[in-house]
Amino acid sequence: MNAHISQKQLAEQHLLEATKEFQKCMQCGKCRSVCPVFKEFGNELFVARGKNKIAQKLVSGDLQITKRVEQAINECLNCKTCSANCPAGVKPENVVLRMRWYITTQRGLHFFKALIFRQLLWRKWPITLGCAIVGIAQKVLFGIGPKNPVRHLFPLFGFSKRRNFPQLAIRSAQSMLPEVSPAKNGPRKARIGYFTGCAGNLIYTNVAKSVVDILTGYGYEVVIPKAQKCNGTPVLANGDYEGAKRLMVHNFELFQKYDLDAIVVACSSCGMSLKKEIKVFIDDSPELQEFTSKVFDINEFIEKNLEIKPEQLSRLPYKVTYHDPCHMVRGQGIKDQPRNLLKMIPGVEFTEMKNADTCCGSAGSYCITHYDTSIKINNHKIKDIQEANVNMVATGCPTCVMHIADNLAQHNSHEKTRFVVELLADSMRAAGTI
Amino acid sequence: MKKSIIDELVSIFGQENVLTEREDMIAYSYDAAPVEIEPEAVVFPTTTEQVSKLMKMAYREEIPVTPRGQGSGLSGGSIPLKKGIVLSMDKMKKMIEFDPNNRLITVEAGFTTSDIDPIVSEANLFYPPDPGSVAFSTIGGNVAENAGGLRGLKYGVTKNYVKMLKVVLPQGDIVTVGSKCVKHVAGFNSELIFVGSEGLLGIMTEVTLALLPIPQHRESALAIFNSLDSAAQAVSDIIAAGVTPSTMEFMDNATINAVQNFKDCGLPRDAEAVLLIETDGEMNSAKWEMSVIEEQVKKNDIREFQRAQNTAERDALFAGRRVALNALASVKPNLILEDATVKRSVLPDMVRGITAIAKKHNVQVGIFGHAGDGNLHPTFLIDQSDKEEMARCHKAVDELFQLAIDLDGTISGEHGIGLEKKPYLKNQIGDAGIKMLQDMKRMFDPKNLLNPGKMFDMPGEAA
Ligand SMILES: Cc1cc2nc3c(=O)[nH]c(=O)nc-3n(C[C@H](O)[C@H](O)[C@H](O)COP(=O)(O)OP(=O)(O)OC[C@H]3O[C@@H](n4cnc5c(N)ncnc54)[C@H](O)[C@@H]3O)c2cc1C
Ligand code: SF4
Ligand code: SF4
Repeated sequence: MNAHISQKQLAEQHLLEATKEFQKCMQCGKCRSVCPVFKEFGNELFVARGKNKIAQKLVSGDLQITKRVEQAINECLNCKTCSANCPAGVKPENVVLRMRWYITTQRGLHFFKALIFRQLLWRKWPITLGCAIVGIAQKVLFGIGPKNPVRHLFPLFGFSKRRNFPQLAIRSAQSMLPEVSPAKNGPRKARIGYFTGCAGNLIYTNVAKSVVDILTGYGYEVVIPKAQKCNGTPVLANGDYEGAKRLMVHNFELFQKYDLDAIVVACSSCGMSLKKEIKVFIDDSPELQEFTSKVFDINEFIEKNLEIKPEQLSRLPYKVTYHDPCHMVRGQGIKDQPRNLLKMIPGVEFTEMKNADTCCGSAGSYCITHYDTSIKINNHKIKDIQEANVNMVATGCPTCVMHIADNLAQHNSHEKTRFVVELLADSMRAAGTI
Repeated sequence: MKKSIIDELVSIFGQENVLTEREDMIAYSYDAAPVEIEPEAVVFPTTTEQVSKLMKMAYREEIPVTPRGQGSGLSGGSIPLKKGIVLSMDKMKKMIEFDPNNRLITVEAGFTTSDIDPIVSEANLFYPPDPGSVAFSTIGGNVAENAGGLRGLKYGVTKNYVKMLKVVLPQGDIVTVGSKCVKHVAGFNSELIFVGSEGLLGIMTEVTLALLPIPQHRESALAIFNSLDSAAQAVSDIIAAGVTPSTMEFMDNATINAVQNFKDCGLPRDAEAVLLIETDGEMNSAKWEMSVIEEQVKKNDIREFQRAQNTAERDALFAGRRVALNALASVKPNLILEDATVKRSVLPDMVRGITAIAKKHNVQVGIFGHAGDGNLHPTFLIDQSDKEEMARCHKAVDELFQLAIDLDGTISGEHGIGLEKKPYLKNQIGDAGIKMLQDMKRMFDPKNLLNPGKMFDMPGEAA
């Protein structure tokens, strides 16, 4: 796994891979009509073809890394809307990632990012502990309402004062749930590994619980390897190729030890990274192919494998719409499955909103580093949600949930934000199925 | 660029609408043609008056100005050949007035073409010219290039819909040409001077376009041919029978194979040509027209004629044509898309000629396009990093243009001359033709500051 590759070789590799990609660009401009970042800035420097061109200039040596170059390269949501629409089959988001990694080989990793990606995420316990402390503080401070003076502290941590945070877990999902949850209601059908992802572990623990309850309730044994770490998405998106690689290798080796029939995830980015992005970091092998072919998004897995009978579901009186996370719809091609699950629930009145598959602007850490733009992008989503005339938005990605919920609250809009699996679990629990 | 000039630009447009950093200049140094020249400043006007002020300043300071729509042009029209200022219309994209009673819409020139139909369809109207770039080109750019689309045979091209224009002339005067009336003869037919002017004669800031009622019904069919001649003969027979299809799209064998490699669209790989045909209008007449077409087409060496019974079937028939460009693009790293056009009667000669040229110079080519109006898109599939192949391709392109001229056709049906075809224009229109264009340019723009060096050189300028 080219462990001893030098920074120089790494830099060359990134430039080469970027070149293979941007070379295909015909500069037609079609990406202008779809790129959410370009829509806000209206400057061609920020559209996909502009990023391709900047990369080309960096590679040819006609341009050096400047602040403006970094800005152009960092203004990207990795939403893949450009590549999904590109007539020449270019994947500009991959050019962007390569250039971020390349810039790190030239400039080094910012001290703060190195601390988070290479120390805290790697060791894991400081993050778990930190979340618990903040979680307690949130409880004590009664959530952080719009007028709460604690908001003035947010900027110290790089967050906007306007922001609404979800409640962080005082007890993480991984500490609440056993490493092995046996199959219920009959003989074991298969042994499933569950990759919780940081958000499922530390924020949306009810999602983790729903995944385990549904799968065990339908006869699957669920294993949550306790030593699992972040899948690397925020790390690779922030320019740290090596940090991401270390995490990917770790999880790849860890999950192989458990003799699993399948691996499920309930986070769109974790799913995409374990199915696809991992191939950028780990050399191809039969083991890797076997691993990636075993990974399923929870919606995909349930829809394909569980035989859910109508009497196993109880009524839920919700008017629901669905938001397609980028890394689910374009990242993994999952579009119908979550909708089918929602429509299966009696009482759920499903309405397709306009532009369901446009990016909500959260883009993982982008909404931390570029909050104002990410909210502007999200405002379009809020409008589409409001026009759908529903009382709930269901989706399958933690950062989408967080960002949409934050902005709905800023708009004093009443719609709730939930994961599809949570709703399904609620309906099954009420029917006494799980 | 001098600081005093940048300051003046900022005072006209506001700080947020003036770019001067190198990285931003790179972002505005190119369009869909393979040429690159960095401007010294990019400005984003929001009003016609700002454009006028800019041109007055440009004339005073003798700074070249290049108008730019969405930069989807394939002939390099929006590239700032002489550097200076790029004037981007991206912030003049408002709808000004929709007038269903008179079937007109007035928009700012930076308005995106595909944004028209959602507005006007509520009154059962549509805007017919539909270039492949409808979603990423501006009305101003469409007017400047006289853009065409799939429906040219029946519905014409952009020039057939331009009613009235607000234009800033090179020296800063603001004029309104044309009229919203169905008929008008007050003065020269001056709005048409600006159609196809490629940003050389003035900057359009507002455009009034004519609209048509949405046809009640549409019939679609796919015809698969065993030989090129039979496809071409079928086109002639259809026209001779007195029908005018709204669409008649052509794909050759190379394109069919590229499509099938890209995505199975059910096209037979050994077919020499396919035609996608549509008729539209009142239901009975659209159906009748299609039955006449079926009759005519079947007189030729045809393998199959499929008629779509519903929208899903129509989409299936068109699937191949929709991905044609994507499919060709996936064959090699790069492509050069041409738009030489001939009379439809000599279409087979043109297709055979292009294929022979490609063979002679050993370059891959796929041909698709609008058979009804003789506008083909021979697409050369190349690898730009292969210098030797590029040289061969350029030779092939030279011969392609000469072939079009020899067949009494034109070197450009819709993409314009710009930089890319400048060297070939004289072969088509002759010295006197060039001189007339130069004289007109001099009359509008005596200092040659608006989009200089495009389409033709002024006397004394280096070629
Ligand atoms: C994939 C693809 C498919 C295409 N398909 C077609 C097609 O089917 N039919 C077709 O005709 N063309 C097609 N084109 C070419 C191109 O989209 C058209 O020429 C289009 O009209 C250009 O519009 P734009 O807004 O991008 O203008 P630009 O490319 O920015 O500019 C084109 C020219 O217009 C001038 N200009 C722009 N705005 C103004 C203004 N307001 N006032 C004065 N001058 C102005 C510029 O100076 C330049 O010379 C295609 C291009 C691509 C990349
Ligand atoms: S759509 Fe694709 S080919 Fe066209 S400019 Fe954008 S990246 Fe390049
Ligand atoms: S990935 Fe999304 S944000 Fe990034 S360039 Fe493509 S469309 Fe724009």
